[in-house]
Amino acid sequence: MTEMVRKSSGDEILNHWVLAVSCILLIISGYGFLFQTEAIGSLFGGFNTMKTVHNWVGVVFILSLLFSMRHSFKDALEYDEDDRQWFKVAGGYLSHKVKVPPMGKYNPGQKLYYLAILGAGIAIALSGFAIWLVQGNQTLILISHLVHNVSFCIFIIAVPVHIYLSTLANPGTFQIMVNGTLPLEVAKKRYPKWMKAAGKM
Amino acid sequence: MANDNTKNRKAILVTPEVCIGCRACQVACKSWNQLPGIKTKNNGTYQNPPDLASAAFNIIRYSEVPSEKNPVRWLFVSRRCMHCDDAGCMKICPAPGALYRTKEGAVAFDRDKCIGCKLCVNACPFDVPRYDADGKVTKCHLCFDRIGAGMQPACVKTCPTGALRFGDRAELVSTAKKDGFGTIYGEEDLGGLGTVYAFKEEPKLYGMTDDPAIPSSVVFWHTVLKPFAVAGLGGVVAAAAIHYLAVGPHKEEEEV
Repeated sequence: MTEMVRKSSGDEILNHWVLAVSCILLIISGYGFLFQTEAIGSLFGGFNTMKTVHNWVGVVFILSLLFSMRHSFKDALEYDEDDRQWFKVAGGYLSHKVKVPPMGKYNPGQKLYYLAILGAGIAIALSGFAIWLVQGNQTLILISHLVHNVSFCIFIIAVPVHIYLSTLANPGTFQIMVNGTLPLEVAKKRYPKWMKAAGKM
Repeated sequence: MANDNTKNRKAILVTPEVCIGCRACQVACKSWNQLPGIKTKNNGTYQNPPDLASAAFNIIRYSEVPSEKNPVRWLFVSRRCMHCDDAGCMKICPAPGALYRTKEGAVAFDRDKCIGCKLCVNACPFDVPRYDADGKVTKCHLCFDRIGAGMQPACVKTCPTGALRFGDRAELVSTAKKDGFGTIYGEEDLGGLGTVYAFKEEPKLYGMTDDPAIPSSVVFWHTVLKPFAVAGLGGVVAAAAIHYLAVGPHKEEEEV
């Protein structure tokens, strides 16, 4: 039997699913509000219900995002020389012929993606709470409305890229979101520095 | 940004010069719209209630503006929804049909469709929309129920001096100009207001907003961010498809 390596723990997998589902629900309902789309409103049982869903799923989303810091925040802050080289070859994403430097558990693209989502997520949650709960402060509401929508634009660019790269573009990656493991031989090729640090190679 | 569907746009023409401050318009509005009374405190002015409220769709603003000729000059002006052609409230509203344009060009509301987000309150250049106890938007709706049946708005019907007049917007504006009013407030602002004011003096004296405009952040959101939210998502999905076809998925054996 193939020897497997665990990349994600059980709570990390569960939390990522909560984060992913809540994020997609928020984006869909967000588009409904942005363009007053009747069809999306109907999907949620009308705009009044959609507002309630949007607000409370937003609470789930930000709690899940803050919980994810436990798994991803430390890694996302550490960059080395190989990471710098990684950018020069665009991570090997644009051509399979270039030589990509050896990576650790996460490549710098993934790390920066995480920080972007964390930043935009905190901004969209804080501004969302202001729009939801604050009354009688026009400046604050208008700034929040702008911040909420700018963060939304970050999400609708970053999230589809993340989904594409972790499914179609890199076969075998999606199963890590399901069972948290991948074959040792694959891990050695993809994450040599992580495997060395773990004493597996 | 004139509406094609409001070519026969109706409007209220306010002529503050002939307003006697009787507040019959306030009473008629409450009566027609079945709005409850509001408990207020004497704050040293006849202006009452002190501002627009969920149960006060129109008020008369009283301003004491003494001049050299007239040391006790007291100015009255009816304040209510301006029914902007380019309405900030409608622009920012996320719920379809909650704020809508009537065939006469007014901005009306539908309580059942309002989701109570209160964004309209902050996008209005004139601080008009209010929220009732149920968290639903309320404001002047130009008595769309009356004018749809060939009647005048309740406030206009009751006005004893002609300070409020209702009719075809273009006609009202040209009549006011012919009558020698130098400033038609709202003729061009925000695509043309549905409540226009005929002044001989500075509108500012009456407490009117100079150069009313939709907040710039709302304009930026509407003209830049909204199209970007579509183009951005479409662009990313297209880029992913092109990448998949041109570069293809990652293959393990090609890596060293």
